[in-house]
Amino acid sequence: MCVAMPGKVIRLDSGVAEVDFSGNRVRAQAGLVAVKPGDYVLVHAGCILQVISKQDRDSLADLFEEIEELC
Amino acid sequence: MLKVQEFLKQYDGEPMRIMEVCGTHTAAISHSGIPSVISPKIRLISGPGCPVCVTVTSYIDRLVSLSMEPGCAVVSFGDLLRVKGSARSLNDARALGGQVRMVYSPMDVLKLAAAEPEKTFVFAAVGFETTAPVYALLLGEAVRAGLENIRLLTSLKTMPPVIDWVCAHQGGIDGFLAPGHVSVITGSDLFEPLARKYSIPFAVSGFEPEQILISLYALVRLRGRGVVKNLYPSVVTARGNVQAQRLVSRYFEPCGAAWRGMGVIPNSGIRLRPEFARFDAGSAELTQDRGFHSACRCGQVLTGAISPHECPLFGRACAPQTPQGACMVSTEGSCYQYYVNRRD
Amino acid sequence: MKITMAHGSGGKATSELISRIFAANFKNPVLSAMEDAAVVPGAGTLAVTTDSFVVTPLFFPGGDIGRLSVCGTVNDLLMSGAVPQYLTCGFIIEEGAESDDLERMARSMAETAREAGVTIVAGDTKVVEGGGGVYINTSGVGFVPPGRRVSASLCREGDAVLVSGYLGEHHAAVLSARMGIENRIRSDCAPLGEAVESLFQNGVRVHALRDATRGGLATVLNEFAAASGCCIALREESLPVSAPVSGFCGILGLDPLYMGNEGKFAAVVDREDAEKALAVLKASQYGENAAVVGSVVPGEAGTLLVRTSIGGTRIVPELYGEGLPRIC
Repeated sequence: MCVAMPGKVIRLDSGVAEVDFSGNRVRAQAGLVAVKPGDYVLVHAGCILQVISKQDRDSLADLFEEIEELC
Repeated sequence: MLKVQEFLKQYDGEPMRIMEVCGTHTAAISHSGIPSVISPKIRLISGPGCPVCVTVTSYIDRLVSLSMEPGCAVVSFGDLLRVKGSARSLNDARALGGQVRMVYSPMDVLKLAAAEPEKTFVFAAVGFETTAPVYALLLGEAVRAGLENIRLLTSLKTMPPVIDWVCAHQGGIDGFLAPGHVSVITGSDLFEPLARKYSIPFAVSGFEPEQILISLYALVRLRGRGVVKNLYPSVVTARGNVQAQRLVSRYFEPCGAAWRGMGVIPNSGIRLRPEFARFDAGSAELTQDRGFHSACRCGQVLTGAISPHECPLFGRACAPQTPQGACMVSTEGSCYQYYVNRRD
Repeated sequence: MKITMAHGSGGKATSELISRIFAANFKNPVLSAMEDAAVVPGAGTLAVTTDSFVVTPLFFPGGDIGRLSVCGTVNDLLMSGAVPQYLTCGFIIEEGAESDDLERMARSMAETAREAGVTIVAGDTKVVEGGGGVYINTSGVGFVPPGRRVSASLCREGDAVLVSGYLGEHHAAVLSARMGIENRIRSDCAPLGEAVESLFQNGVRVHALRDATRGGLATVLNEFAAASGCCIALREESLPVSAPVSGFCGILGLDPLYMGNEGKFAAVVDREDAEKALAVLKASQYGENAAVVGSVVPGEAGTLLVRTSIGGTRIVPELYGEGLPRIC
């Protein structure tokens, strides 16, 4: 379940955001989390689920180090 | 990354059985060919994480009969249309004159309902924790806009109780690839009690092939330890999206839920609160799971008790063009994925 | 003006509709004779095909049903190695259709036919009850030059597999229009004569050709693998997909390998000619994004494989179901 895609908020108009996915503009509900234009967000079924904090937090090298520390 | 891939390929330790509980993970694993790049000692098992697959037949039957009622239209995601109830699917219903609309987002119902106020629009509200907040937003908007002609037929499920059920009834799982987008809403802490209870590691994973590989690596390395590791930190936090959780509990409350082939699992779902019962299209009594092929073993496939190949119908009576069970209908179903990708 | 049942009566309204819209746009000596059948010269090995066109919306970014109905049939002829020559067209029009729309479609068909070098030599119009829809059937005739033999059954181990450009653009353009997703994706709808002819003219040893329409590249290559009893392997990174189409597919959970194209084809050529074929395609009209995407490899007959970015392998089956947008 749960296909979700990262996109960029272009503008915000009374709780509805226009989100860009590589040149595709889609309207998405912004009622689940505070967003502002320029934010990268995760969209599922027409709703913004979360703002993506710096994408480099998913850096594989860092995650690898964290796992090694745990082990 | 090379180190991770090399490790997973060369792994020759104790056999590992890892369950992915999210259908989108199942699809991503097949799509990127992950089983072909890891050691055969690491077995990937698909769990009960495809909402279409775990839906019981009486739910589909109810949707089919609603679509045939005058003045009523069923609105659904595309995946659900092909799933057969005890006799028909929504696609069959449409061919017989039933009113069925397919949408990309539940929010699209608002437009439909406003345009045709004399008609009642019933949304087939399936899903897990990820999608529940979307339905809550929809209800909020419906109330605000004064739209009285929107209903939900809910089959909404929650992950921890079914994972608990799998561990308690089936066992034999050495690690869980935890659902990434469910965790965005719930937070990774959700899995802590289960990890501790069964001493099994959980890795919250993203959906890119490399993200899945590093999560598998973590699970193999953490074997036997009851820890939760969040490997999708760009969108998943320990506590999740609290605003979304609050919104969900404003409209919904926990309930027992029926899972295909598993029966009713206590507290494994949510339903509309009594004060919003006017939005319900009769979801409560839909716990019956009958009518599908008597030899269908979807229930055991869904919990990882058997591989799709061990079902007597798989590849014979049951194939993508002639699906007998929901696991073959959904493109995220284990049987569909095993069939088309010839996984073994 | 709206089309009514009277326009299908066979009387004055019918002949006015035909002369004002169709004859005016398709004008040529054969058609203008208004005989019961077109009588045309021709000699050699004939290729004949027919196709019906149903699309919503009728006008979409990058094309319309008229252009589509010419391209589809012309491209089918080209894929058999033929040089397309003549087309016929049949219109089935639902009452309520706008005559201005029909005029635009006819003009678009005429322009595309000119571009493709074919003559529309016969036509027919029917009006049926309904809500303004238009359906077009075209049949086409071409001639296969001596010595040319291409067939889905001629793929051999070692052959290179090429595709003539970006995948999925027609499908994405039409679906975007239907679903209200804003983007700049345009249908790739185009006649492929120049690209195909230039392969032959430059001496590329072409074994199999097919346009990747409904069902996409995956469907065509599965057909090749089945007809030739061979195994085809694609490299995921080499598949040409534009960024907007890739984003579009992500939103709806679609796979560009299965998405329909109306101006792209797959070519299986002798391994030694792969580089030449690529250069020729890239230099041809509509071919600038052509790519070598894979090859015929030893392996299970009738199978299409993809080597993924992480070095994995997956089987790409035929398309099951309708390829619906996926949410869960």
